[in-house]
Amino acid sequence: MKKVFGIFSQRRTVFLLGFYVVFSLFLMTLNDPYQLRGIRIAVLQTMSWMHQIRDHVNLVKNLKEENQQLRKKLLEKSLENQQMQESMLENIRLHRMLKFKEESNYSLIAAKVIGYGQEPTIRSLILDVGSADSVEKNQPVITDLGLVGKSLVVEKNQSIVQILMDRNSLVSARLQKSREVGVVGWSGNLWLDLNYISREVVVEPGEVVLTSGLSRIYPAGIKIGIVAEVRENEYELFKQIKIKPAVDFDRLEEVFVIKTPDSLKSREGID
Amino acid sequence: MSQLVIRYLLLFLFAFILQMTLVNFIEILQWRPDLLLIVLVAFALRKGPDWGMTAGFLIGLLQDMVGTELIGLAALSKTVAGFLAGVLSGKFAERAQFLLTLLISGLAHDFIYFFIYTLGEHFSLQSLIIFYTIPNLMYTIIIGGLLYYFMEPLMAE
Repeated sequence: MKKVFGIFSQRRTVFLLGFYVVFSLFLMTLNDPYQLRGIRIAVLQTMSWMHQIRDHVNLVKNLKEENQQLRKKLLEKSLENQQMQESMLENIRLHRMLKFKEESNYSLIAAKVIGYGQEPTIRSLILDVGSADSVEKNQPVITDLGLVGKSLVVEKNQSIVQILMDRNSLVSARLQKSREVGVVGWSGNLWLDLNYISREVVVEPGEVVLTSGLSRIYPAGIKIGIVAEVRENEYELFKQIKIKPAVDFDRLEEVFVIKTPDSLKSREGID
Repeated sequence: MSQLVIRYLLLFLFAFILQMTLVNFIEILQWRPDLLLIVLVAFALRKGPDWGMTAGFLIGLLQDMVGTELIGLAALSKTVAGFLAGVLSGKFAERAQFLLTLLISGLAHDFIYFFIYTLGEHFSLQSLIIFYTIPNLMYTIIIGGLLYYFMEPLMAE
Protein backbone atom coordinates (compact mmCIF):
# COMPACT_ATOMS: atom_id res chain seq x y z
CA MET A 1 0.00 0.00 0.00
CA LYS A 2 2.83 2.31 0.96
CA LYS A 3 4.46 1.50 -2.31
CA VAL A 4 1.29 2.49 -4.20
CA PHE A 5 1.10 5.78 -2.32
CA GLY A 6 4.79 6.28 -3.00
CA ILE A 7 4.29 5.91 -6.73
CA PHE A 8 1.24 8.14 -6.58
CA SER A 9 3.08 10.88 -4.73
CA GLN A 10 5.99 10.66 -7.16
CA ARG A 11 3.76 10.94 -10.18
CA ARG A 12 0.96 12.89 -8.60
CA THR A 13 0.67 15.39 -11.43
CA VAL A 14 0.33 12.70 -14.07
CA PHE A 15 -2.20 10.72 -12.05
CA LEU A 16 -4.17 13.86 -11.28
CA LEU A 17 -4.23 14.92 -14.92
CA GLY A 18 -5.27 11.43 -15.95
CA PHE A 19 -8.00 11.39 -13.36
CA TYR A 20 -9.44 14.75 -14.42
CA VAL A 21 -9.29 13.87 -18.11
CA VAL A 22 -10.92 10.47 -17.59
CA PHE A 23 -13.52 11.94 -15.29
CA SER A 24 -14.31 14.69 -17.78
CA LEU A 25 -14.70 12.12 -20.54
CA PHE A 26 -16.85 10.00 -18.26
CA LEU A 27 -19.04 13.02 -17.61
CA MET A 28 -19.38 13.52 -21.32
CA THR A 29 -20.74 10.00 -21.67
CA LEU A 30 -23.53 10.88 -19.24
CA ASN A 31 -24.98 13.44 -21.62
CA ASP A 32 -28.18 12.72 -23.45
CA PRO A 33 -27.95 10.83 -26.75
CA TYR A 34 -28.34 13.91 -28.94
CA GLN A 35 -25.32 15.60 -27.36
CA LEU A 36 -23.33 12.39 -27.59
CA ARG A 37 -24.15 11.98 -31.25
CA GLY A 38 -21.01 13.76 -32.42
CA ILE A 39 -18.67 11.70 -30.26
CA ARG A 40 -20.45 8.52 -31.25
CA ILE A 41 -20.13 9.42 -34.92
CA ALA A 42 -16.46 10.24 -34.40
CA VAL A 43 -15.84 6.92 -32.67
CA LEU A 44 -17.66 5.10 -35.45
CA GLN A 45 -15.72 7.01 -38.08
CA THR A 46 -12.45 6.19 -36.34
CA MET A 47 -13.43 2.52 -36.17
CA SER A 48 -14.44 2.65 -39.81
CA TRP A 49 -11.07 4.18 -40.79
CA MET A 50 -9.24 1.51 -38.80
CA HIS A 51 -11.26 -1.18 -40.55
CA GLN A 52 -10.55 0.46 -43.87
CA ILE A 53 -6.81 0.55 -43.10
CA ARG A 54 -6.88 -3.11 -42.02
CA ASP A 55 -8.89 -4.04 -45.11
CA HIS A 56 -6.50 -2.06 -47.27
CA VAL A 57 -3.47 -3.84 -45.75
CA ASN A 58 -5.19 -7.21 -46.27
CA LEU A 59 -6.12 -6.20 -49.78
CA VAL A 60 -2.54 -5.25 -50.63
CA LYS A 61 -1.29 -8.53 -49.13
CA ASN A 62 -3.92 -10.55 -51.02
CA LEU A 63 -3.22 -8.65 -54.21
CA LYS A 64 0.50 -9.42 -53.93
CA GLU A 65 -0.19 -13.13 -53.48
CA GLU A 66 -2.78 -13.10 -56.24
CA ASN A 67 -0.37 -11.23 -58.49
CA GLN A 68 2.35 -13.82 -57.91
CA GLN A 69 -0.06 -16.67 -58.62
CA LEU A 70 -1.34 -14.95 -61.74
CA ARG A 71 2.20 -14.33 -62.96
CA LYS A 72 2.97 -18.01 -62.44
CA LYS A 73 -0.20 -19.01 -64.27
CA LEU A 74 0.56 -16.55 -67.03
CA LEU A 75 4.01 -18.03 -67.47
CA GLU A 76 2.56 -21.55 -67.53
CA LYS A 77 -0.10 -20.53 -70.04
CA SER A 78 2.46 -18.69 -72.12
CA LEU A 79 4.65 -21.82 -72.29
CA GLU A 80 1.58 -23.91 -73.04
CA ASN A 81 0.62 -21.48 -75.76
CA GLN A 82 4.10 -21.60 -77.26
CA GLN A 83 4.00 -25.39 -77.23
CA MET A 84 0.57 -25.36 -78.84
CA GLN A 85 1.73 -22.94 -81.51
CA GLU A 86 4.78 -25.07 -82.10
CA SER A 87 2.58 -28.17 -82.36
CA MET A 88 0.24 -26.39 -84.71
CA LEU A 89 3.10 -25.29 -86.97
CA GLU A 90 4.59 -28.76 -86.86
CA ASN A 91 1.20 -30.17 -87.72
CA ILE A 92 0.94 -27.86 -90.73
CA ARG A 93 4.43 -28.80 -91.88
CA LEU A 94 3.86 -32.50 -91.42
CA HIS A 95 0.52 -32.27 -93.17
CA ARG A 96 2.22 -30.56 -96.10
CA MET A 97 4.98 -33.16 -96.12
CA LEU A 98 2.48 -36.00 -95.94
CA LYS A 99 0.57 -34.57 -98.86
CA PHE A 100 3.81 -34.23 -100.78
CA LYS A 101 4.72 -37.81 -99.98
CA GLU A 102 1.34 -39.06 -101.12
CA GLU A 103 1.47 -37.09 -104.34
CA SER A 104 5.08 -37.88 -105.05
CA ASN A 105 6.08 -40.65 -107.44
CA TYR A 106 9.25 -41.32 -105.50
CA SER A 107 9.72 -43.79 -102.74
CA LEU A 108 10.44 -41.51 -99.79
CA ILE A 109 11.88 -41.91 -96.31
CA ALA A 110 10.72 -39.22 -93.89
CA ALA A 111 13.43 -37.79 -91.67
CA LYS A 112 13.91 -35.15 -89.06
CA VAL A 113 16.83 -32.76 -89.06
CA ILE A 114 18.49 -33.25 -85.70
CA GLY A 115 21.54 -31.12 -86.21
CA TYR A 116 24.03 -29.41 -88.43
CA GLY A 117 27.29 -31.04 -89.36
CA GLN A 118 30.36 -29.80 -87.54
CA GLU A 119 32.87 -30.73 -90.23
CA PRO A 120 34.74 -27.64 -91.39
CA THR A 121 35.03 -28.87 -94.95
CA ILE A 122 31.46 -29.95 -95.58
CA ARG A 123 28.27 -28.01 -95.05
CA SER A 124 25.86 -30.65 -93.93
CA LEU A 125 22.78 -31.66 -91.95
CA ILE A 126 22.32 -34.60 -89.65
CA LEU A 127 19.16 -36.68 -90.08
CA ASP A 128 17.59 -39.10 -87.62
CA VAL A 129 17.42 -41.89 -90.18
CA GLY A 130 20.17 -44.24 -91.28
CA SER A 131 20.85 -47.59 -92.82
CA ALA A 132 18.30 -49.15 -90.48
CA ASP A 133 15.70 -47.06 -92.34
CA SER A 134 17.02 -48.07 -95.74
CA VAL A 135 18.99 -44.91 -96.25
CA GLU A 136 22.05 -45.38 -98.42
CA LYS A 137 24.93 -43.17 -99.45
CA ASN A 138 24.25 -40.75 -102.33
CA GLN A 139 20.51 -40.62 -102.04
CA PRO A 140 18.82 -37.29 -102.81
CA VAL A 141 17.31 -35.36 -99.91
CA ILE A 142 14.37 -33.09 -100.62
CA THR A 143 11.49 -31.18 -99.08
CA ASP A 144 8.18 -30.28 -100.66
CA LEU A 145 9.85 -27.03 -101.74
CA GLY A 146 12.83 -28.49 -103.51
CA LEU A 147 16.23 -30.12 -103.41
CA VAL A 148 18.29 -30.10 -100.22
CA GLY A 149 21.31 -32.22 -101.08
CA LYS A 150 22.39 -35.85 -100.88
CA SER A 151 23.25 -38.34 -98.18
CA LEU A 152 26.99 -38.51 -97.75
CA VAL A 153 27.68 -40.58 -94.65
CA VAL A 154 25.20 -43.16 -93.44
CA GLU A 155 25.26 -44.69 -90.00
CA LYS A 156 22.78 -47.15 -88.60
CA ASN A 157 20.37 -44.58 -87.20
CA GLN A 158 21.78 -41.32 -88.47
CA SER A 159 23.03 -39.90 -91.68
CA ILE A 160 24.90 -36.82 -92.80
CA VAL A 161 23.55 -34.88 -95.75
CA GLN A 162 25.72 -32.69 -97.92
CA ILE A 163 23.60 -29.68 -98.81
CA LEU A 164 23.67 -27.68 -102.02
CA MET A 165 25.40 -24.83 -100.20
CA ASP A 166 28.56 -26.88 -99.87
CA ARG A 167 31.49 -25.99 -102.10
CA ASN A 168 31.94 -29.60 -103.20
CA SER A 169 28.30 -29.99 -104.21
CA LEU A 170 27.57 -30.09 -107.91
CA VAL A 171 24.18 -30.94 -109.40
CA SER A 172 23.21 -31.35 -113.02
CA ALA A 173 20.43 -28.85 -113.63
CA ARG A 174 18.05 -27.78 -116.35
CA LEU A 175 16.37 -24.46 -117.05
CA GLN A 176 12.65 -25.08 -117.15
CA LYS A 177 11.82 -22.93 -120.20
CA SER A 178 14.85 -23.26 -122.46
CA ARG A 179 15.57 -26.82 -121.33
CA GLU A 180 19.28 -25.96 -121.37
CA VAL A 181 21.42 -28.04 -119.07
CA GLY A 182 24.09 -26.70 -116.74
CA VAL A 183 25.71 -27.47 -113.44
CA VAL A 184 24.65 -25.93 -110.17
CA GLY A 185 27.24 -25.27 -107.48
CA TRP A 186 27.60 -23.07 -104.45
CA SER A 187 28.59 -19.49 -105.15
CA GLY A 188 30.15 -18.96 -101.74
CA ASN A 189 27.35 -16.78 -100.40
CA LEU A 190 23.57 -17.07 -100.16
CA TRP A 191 23.18 -17.99 -103.84
CA LEU A 192 23.88 -20.90 -106.10
CA ASP A 193 25.57 -20.56 -109.47
CA LEU A 194 24.25 -22.15 -112.63
CA ASN A 195 27.26 -22.71 -114.79
CA TYR A 196 27.83 -23.68 -118.41
CA ILE A 197 24.77 -22.00 -119.87
CA SER A 198 25.71 -20.54 -123.23
CA ARG A 199 25.50 -16.79 -123.88
CA GLU A 200 23.13 -17.55 -126.74
CA VAL A 201 20.46 -18.95 -124.43
CA VAL A 202 17.75 -16.57 -123.32
CA VAL A 203 17.46 -16.69 -119.55
CA GLU A 204 15.34 -14.35 -117.47
CA PRO A 205 15.17 -13.87 -113.72
CA GLY A 206 12.35 -15.87 -112.19
CA GLU A 207 12.92 -18.91 -114.39
CA VAL A 208 12.79 -22.19 -112.50
CA VAL A 209 15.85 -24.42 -112.34
CA LEU A 210 15.28 -28.16 -111.92
CA THR A 211 17.42 -31.25 -111.65
CA SER A 212 18.16 -32.47 -115.14
CA GLY A 213 17.98 -36.18 -114.48
CA LEU A 214 21.41 -36.64 -116.14
CA SER A 215 22.75 -37.99 -112.90
CA ARG A 216 23.33 -41.16 -110.97
CA ILE A 217 21.85 -39.59 -107.89
CA TYR A 218 19.19 -37.01 -108.62
CA PRO A 219 16.05 -37.87 -110.57
CA ALA A 220 14.76 -35.29 -113.05
CA GLY A 221 12.35 -32.51 -112.17
CA ILE A 222 13.24 -31.63 -108.58
CA LYS A 223 13.21 -27.90 -108.08
CA ILE A 224 16.58 -26.43 -107.19
CA GLY A 225 15.65 -22.75 -107.22
CA ILE A 226 14.79 -19.80 -109.41
CA VAL A 227 17.02 -17.57 -111.46
CA ALA A 228 17.73 -14.41 -109.51
CA GLU A 229 20.29 -12.63 -111.62
CA VAL A 230 21.74 -13.11 -115.13
CA ARG A 231 25.00 -11.51 -116.30
CA GLU A 232 26.95 -11.71 -119.49
CA ASN A 233 30.49 -10.90 -120.38
CA GLU A 234 31.45 -10.53 -124.02
CA TYR A 235 34.78 -12.26 -123.40
CA GLU A 236 33.19 -15.31 -121.81
CA LEU A 237 31.36 -18.15 -123.43
CA PHE A 238 28.84 -18.71 -120.67
CA LYS A 239 26.35 -16.64 -118.77
CA GLN A 240 26.81 -15.95 -115.09
CA ILE A 241 23.51 -17.02 -113.53
CA LYS A 242 22.72 -16.66 -109.86
CA ILE A 243 20.02 -18.90 -108.42
CA LYS A 244 18.00 -18.37 -105.30
CA PRO A 245 17.65 -21.82 -103.67
CA ALA A 246 14.13 -23.16 -103.35
CA VAL A 247 14.90 -24.38 -99.84
CA ASP A 248 15.78 -22.23 -96.87
CA PHE A 249 18.64 -24.27 -95.46
CA ASP A 250 18.56 -22.49 -92.11
CA ARG A 251 14.98 -23.51 -91.40
CA LEU A 252 14.92 -27.14 -92.32
CA GLU A 253 13.15 -29.39 -89.85
CA GLU A 254 11.65 -32.29 -91.78
CA VAL A 255 12.98 -33.70 -95.05
CA PHE A 256 12.63 -36.75 -97.23
CA VAL A 257 15.28 -39.08 -98.51
CA ILE A 258 14.48 -40.48 -101.94
CA LYS A 259 15.21 -44.13 -102.32
CA THR A 260 17.31 -44.42 -105.45
CA PRO A 261 15.54 -46.34 -108.20
CA ASP A 262 17.56 -49.20 -109.62
CA SER A 263 17.46 -47.58 -113.04
CA LEU A 264 19.49 -44.65 -111.74
CA LYS A 265 22.07 -46.70 -109.93
CA SER A 266 23.57 -48.04 -113.12
CA ARG A 267 23.58 -44.67 -114.91
CA GLU A 268 26.76 -42.76 -115.62
CA GLY A 269 27.12 -39.02 -115.21
CA ILE A 270 27.83 -36.27 -112.75
CA ASP A 271 25.92 -36.04 -109.51
CA MET B 1 -6.17 26.98 2.74
CA SER B 2 -3.82 29.83 2.07
CA GLN B 3 -4.97 33.36 1.73
CA LEU B 4 -3.85 33.38 -1.85
CA VAL B 5 -6.12 30.49 -2.71
CA ILE B 6 -9.05 32.16 -0.99
CA ARG B 7 -8.37 35.37 -2.83
CA TYR B 8 -8.24 33.52 -6.10
CA LEU B 9 -11.40 31.64 -5.23
CA LEU B 10 -13.16 34.94 -4.81
CA LEU B 11 -11.62 36.17 -8.03
CA PHE B 12 -12.88 33.07 -9.85
CA LEU B 13 -16.38 33.69 -8.53
CA PHE B 14 -16.21 37.32 -9.56
CA ALA B 15 -14.90 36.40 -13.01
CA PHE B 16 -17.59 33.77 -13.34
CA ILE B 17 -20.36 36.26 -12.58
CA LEU B 18 -18.85 38.78 -14.99
CA GLN B 19 -18.52 36.09 -17.65
CA MET B 20 -22.19 35.28 -17.30
CA THR B 21 -23.34 38.88 -17.34
CA LEU B 22 -21.06 41.71 -18.36
CA VAL B 23 -19.08 39.92 -21.07
CA ASN B 24 -22.17 39.73 -23.26
CA PHE B 25 -22.05 43.53 -23.51
CA ILE B 26 -18.47 43.69 -24.71
CA GLU B 27 -18.99 41.07 -27.39
CA ILE B 28 -17.54 42.12 -30.78
CA LEU B 29 -19.14 40.21 -33.62
CA GLN B 30 -19.16 36.79 -31.96
CA TRP B 31 -15.90 37.25 -30.13
CA ARG B 32 -15.83 37.54 -26.38
CA PRO B 33 -12.99 37.24 -23.87
CA ASP B 34 -12.79 34.22 -21.54
CA LEU B 35 -12.34 35.85 -18.15
CA LEU B 36 -12.23 32.52 -16.34
CA LEU B 37 -9.32 31.40 -18.52
CA ILE B 38 -7.46 34.60 -17.69
CA VAL B 39 -7.84 34.03 -13.94
CA LEU B 40 -7.06 30.33 -14.32
CA VAL B 41 -3.77 31.01 -16.12
CA ALA B 42 -2.78 33.62 -13.54
CA PHE B 43 -3.60 31.16 -10.75
CA ALA B 44 -1.77 28.21 -12.33
CA LEU B 45 1.30 30.34 -12.93
CA ARG B 46 1.38 31.04 -9.25
CA LYS B 47 0.47 27.62 -7.87
CA GLY B 48 1.77 25.14 -10.46
CA PRO B 49 0.18 22.38 -12.57
CA ASP B 50 -1.58 20.42 -9.78
CA TRP B 51 -3.48 23.39 -8.50
CA GLY B 52 -3.90 24.70 -12.01
CA MET B 53 -5.56 21.61 -13.39
CA THR B 54 -7.70 21.13 -10.29
CA ALA B 55 -8.95 24.69 -10.54
CA GLY B 56 -9.44 24.25 -14.29
CA PHE B 57 -11.46 21.09 -13.78
CA LEU B 58 -13.73 22.68 -11.12
CA ILE B 59 -14.26 25.92 -13.05
CA GLY B 60 -14.90 24.02 -16.24
CA LEU B 61 -17.37 21.80 -14.47
CA LEU B 62 -19.12 24.88 -13.13
CA GLN B 63 -19.32 26.27 -16.66
CA ASP B 64 -20.68 22.96 -17.90
CA MET B 65 -23.37 23.00 -15.26
CA VAL B 66 -24.75 26.36 -16.30
CA GLY B 67 -24.24 25.83 -20.00
CA THR B 68 -26.21 23.80 -22.47
CA GLU B 69 -23.27 22.10 -24.15
CA LEU B 70 -21.76 18.72 -23.46
CA ILE B 71 -21.17 18.28 -19.71
CA GLY B 72 -17.49 17.60 -19.12
CA LEU B 73 -16.27 19.40 -22.23
CA ALA B 74 -15.32 22.68 -20.54
CA ALA B 75 -13.98 20.67 -17.57
CA LEU B 76 -11.64 18.77 -19.84
CA SER B 77 -10.41 21.78 -21.83
CA LYS B 78 -9.93 23.93 -18.73
CA THR B 79 -8.12 21.06 -16.96
CA VAL B 80 -5.61 20.88 -19.78
CA ALA B 81 -5.30 24.68 -19.93
CA GLY B 82 -4.66 24.86 -16.18
CA PHE B 83 -2.13 22.04 -16.35
CA LEU B 84 -0.26 23.65 -19.25
CA ALA B 85 -0.19 27.05 -17.56
CA GLY B 86 1.24 25.42 -14.43
CA VAL B 87 3.88 23.54 -16.39
CA LEU B 88 4.87 26.69 -18.32
CA SER B 89 5.37 28.62 -15.10
CA GLY B 90 8.83 30.17 -15.12
CA LYS B 91 9.56 29.04 -18.67
CA PHE B 92 9.39 32.53 -20.21
CA ALA B 93 10.78 35.92 -19.39
CA GLU B 94 8.83 37.53 -16.55
CA ARG B 95 7.31 40.31 -18.65
CA ALA B 96 6.02 38.01 -21.36
CA GLN B 97 5.28 35.09 -19.04
CA PHE B 98 1.59 35.72 -18.53
CA LEU B 99 0.67 36.64 -22.09
CA LEU B 100 2.63 33.81 -23.72
CA THR B 101 1.27 31.26 -21.27
CA LEU B 102 -2.24 32.59 -21.86
CA LEU B 103 -1.69 32.25 -25.61
CA ILE B 104 -0.45 28.64 -25.44
CA SER B 105 -2.96 27.49 -22.84
CA GLY B 106 -5.74 29.31 -24.67
CA LEU B 107 -4.84 27.62 -27.95
CA ALA B 108 -4.82 24.20 -26.29
CA HIS B 109 -8.08 24.99 -24.49
CA ASP B 110 -9.88 26.12 -27.62
CA PHE B 111 -8.49 23.34 -29.77
CA ILE B 112 -9.70 20.62 -27.38
CA TYR B 113 -13.02 22.34 -26.85
CA PHE B 114 -13.83 22.87 -30.50
CA PHE B 115 -12.34 19.62 -31.69
CA ILE B 116 -14.71 17.64 -29.49
CA TYR B 117 -17.52 20.12 -30.04
CA THR B 118 -17.33 19.75 -33.83
CA LEU B 119 -16.84 15.99 -33.92
CA GLY B 120 -19.35 14.46 -36.28
CA GLU B 121 -20.77 17.84 -37.20
CA HIS B 122 -20.55 19.54 -40.53
CA PHE B 123 -18.46 22.45 -39.20
CA SER B 124 -14.99 22.93 -40.49
CA LEU B 125 -12.58 22.91 -37.58
CA GLN B 126 -10.07 24.90 -39.61
CA SER B 127 -12.44 27.78 -40.34
CA LEU B 128 -13.69 27.68 -36.76
CA ILE B 129 -10.11 28.12 -35.50
CA ILE B 130 -9.28 30.84 -38.03
CA PHE B 131 -12.48 32.87 -37.81
CA TYR B 132 -13.49 32.25 -34.24
CA THR B 133 -10.80 30.78 -31.98
CA ILE B 134 -7.86 32.99 -32.95
CA PRO B 135 -9.73 36.34 -32.87
CA ASN B 136 -11.43 35.24 -29.67
CA LEU B 137 -8.08 34.32 -28.15
CA MET B 138 -6.58 37.63 -29.24
CA TYR B 139 -9.45 39.42 -27.56
CA THR B 140 -8.91 37.33 -24.42
CA ILE B 141 -5.18 38.12 -24.48
CA ILE B 142 -5.83 41.88 -24.79
CA ILE B 143 -8.36 41.88 -21.95
CA GLY B 144 -6.12 39.48 -20.00
CA GLY B 145 -3.14 41.79 -20.38
CA LEU B 146 -5.14 44.73 -19.03
CA LEU B 147 -6.70 42.75 -16.18
CA TYR B 148 -3.39 41.17 -15.19
CA TYR B 149 -1.90 44.61 -14.88
CA PHE B 150 -4.49 45.41 -12.18
CA MET B 151 -4.87 41.90 -10.81
CA GLU B 152 -1.23 41.16 -10.10
CA PRO B 153 -0.68 43.76 -7.32
CA LEU B 154 -3.89 42.60 -5.65
CA MET B 155 -2.78 39.01 -5.69
CA ALA B 156 0.74 39.69 -4.45
CA GLU B 157 1.48 37.52 -1.41
